[in-house]
Amino acid sequence: MKILINIAFQSLLNRKVTVILTIISLTISIVLFLSIDTLRLGAKKSFFGNVKSGDLILGARSGEIQLLLYSLFQIGSPTNNISWESYKEISKKPEVDWIIPISLGDSHKQFRVMGTTQNYFEKFSYRKDQKLLFKSGTYFRSTFDVVIGSDVAKILNYKLEDDIIIAHGIASQSLHDEFPFKIKGILKKTGTSTDKLVLVSLEALEAIHKDWKTGSKLPSKIKNKEKEIKNFDLTPKELTAAVIKLKSPISIFKIQREINDYQEESLQAIIPGIVLTKLWQIVSITENIMLSISSMVIVSAILGMIAILYSNLNNRRKEMALLRIVGASPKNIFTLMMVEAFLISFFSIIFAIVIVQISSFIFFPILDRQFGIFLEQKIWNARNLYFLNLVLISSLLVSIFPSIQAFRKSINDGI
Amino acid sequence: MYNALEINDLFFKWENKESFKLKITKLEIENKKKIVIFGKSGSGKSTLLNLISGILSPLKGSLNINNIDITKLSQKKKDEFRANNIGVIFQQFNILDYISPLQNILLPCFFTKFKKYDKLYFYDRAFNLAQKIDINKNILLQNNSKNLSVGQKQRIAILRAIINKPFLILADEATSALDDKNKKDFINLLMNLCDEEKVTLLMVSHDTSLKKNFDDFINLEKILIRNENIN
Repeated sequence: MKILINIAFQSLLNRKVTVILTIISLTISIVLFLSIDTLRLGAKKSFFGNVKSGDLILGARSGEIQLLLYSLFQIGSPTNNISWESYKEISKKPEVDWIIPISLGDSHKQFRVMGTTQNYFEKFSYRKDQKLLFKSGTYFRSTFDVVIGSDVAKILNYKLEDDIIIAHGIASQSLHDEFPFKIKGILKKTGTSTDKLVLVSLEALEAIHKDWKTGSKLPSKIKNKEKEIKNFDLTPKELTAAVIKLKSPISIFKIQREINDYQEESLQAIIPGIVLTKLWQIVSITENIMLSISSMVIVSAILGMIAILYSNLNNRRKEMALLRIVGASPKNIFTLMMVEAFLISFFSIIFAIVIVQISSFIFFPILDRQFGIFLEQKIWNARNLYFLNLVLISSLLVSIFPSIQAFRKSINDGI
Repeated sequence: MYNALEINDLFFKWENKESFKLKITKLEIENKKKIVIFGKSGSGKSTLLNLISGILSPLKGSLNINNIDITKLSQKKKDEFRANNIGVIFQQFNILDYISPLQNILLPCFFTKFKKYDKLYFYDRAFNLAQKIDINKNILLQNNSKNLSVGQKQRIAILRAIINKPFLILADEATSALDDKNKKDFINLLMNLCDEEKVTLLMVSHDTSLKKNFDDFINLEKILIRNENIN
């Protein structure tokens, strides 16, 4: 066997141009498949990563995907808010373990401002039950403290104790410039939408909107705003949504029904995992198309390899005849061809692994920065290894045909 | 003196080619003799050599080499028998140019002798034989055999045929591609090595001028019956 491997290896080296081209085409197709699969899983993981925390999302009655998008991904805007009273009443239900209020509406530069409570930092989790961690500083202690996500800090080059001004609305030029906020905490990267958030307390949002009515600023009578604001009642009147965690998952449907049937106000509760799966099903058509294309690329690369093995058979008749004469059996000739196919596929796989690993170091941070797709560096999993084995086995299986051809010819080919 | 090769009533035809049939009623070659068989192109010379080497199997008859009827052997045994007992020199020498000259010489050992015997013995033998015919170590140890001259190629081909201490050497039109000088050198070298190694030599050729170098010659037409003449 050692001799056959040696002969096969040297014979491949002798035909290095065609062999290298075959290896390149197979390597590219494996890299393409692995990259698409890693991207697909990464995007999915990063998308689903946002919904690890709550059992239910409470919001005003609208489309369930819309509620999911604006509450968890801060994409789009709510059509209506929920009242503070309803929120308080629901939060008092004995089945509720904890509740995180979410109040959206304002922005800072291109980033959305979210009003919430300390619960957000303590209870919110993403992906495998990972908690939010501070890169520096801590959560807000006083009204005009602000915590920013890692992307906000990175892109706007902010550090602790920097002052920031919040703009009214999402794309408005009106600034809440009478209330500068101070950055008190910067969160660690999570790969979720939290990275792009400016987090303030609900009281702060209430405070900066004291002089505002129906979206416009009123002339203010308050002189020293920051000091005097403390004398006002800063209890919020409305919220955008709330993430609810129940003590037991058994009560999810009960509470969901109760919220949906809530008499005082038109509310709805959605189960984030279910809605997200519905949403992903729409996206998955593209995902399946991409996977099918890359699978076809692999199939064509393997067929290319077989075509080359076939076309070489005639050129190598003398070589095969010689090997037969000096004692190689037809079985040896078959094995030789199979070893060659194995070596081509094996090296393609090795090169693909190296390329994917190197590109993960180079491109993952770029994807994260440019497109917000956070991919973990740990890309090798059982699924990938299974796939690589599949490539190896299928290329060996299809190589059986040219090998049988070589075997047959070698029975009669001699002097 | 016994016969190194003995063929009796051998009948062969290709499985899918009804038009090609051949029969050899009798052929005997004495041990250690150097015999040349003359025949025109397409007269069945290569088929005969493939039958003797066990690559092709006859439908009927016996083919004894060193008193072993190889028609009775399984394909696997035939391959082993060929590797151990028969050395072959090809018309174009068939040197594998992607391996070294030394590996080319030792190729027959890879499939047989190395399994049973000391590798070093065959490496030594290759170096010693090469030295005798003016092939130095540097040439033997070249990375590949791409730059060998015709003269070097023919010598490597002879050494490859002889390395396994075969009982019989088959040479197929081994001089047809050579000029007069190279032909003369090749024949001299082959004869000397066959004498030294005490090997029987059977060469097929269309070049009747080789007659003088051999112990005897046979006209293929006289021993081989083709197609329509077979009863």
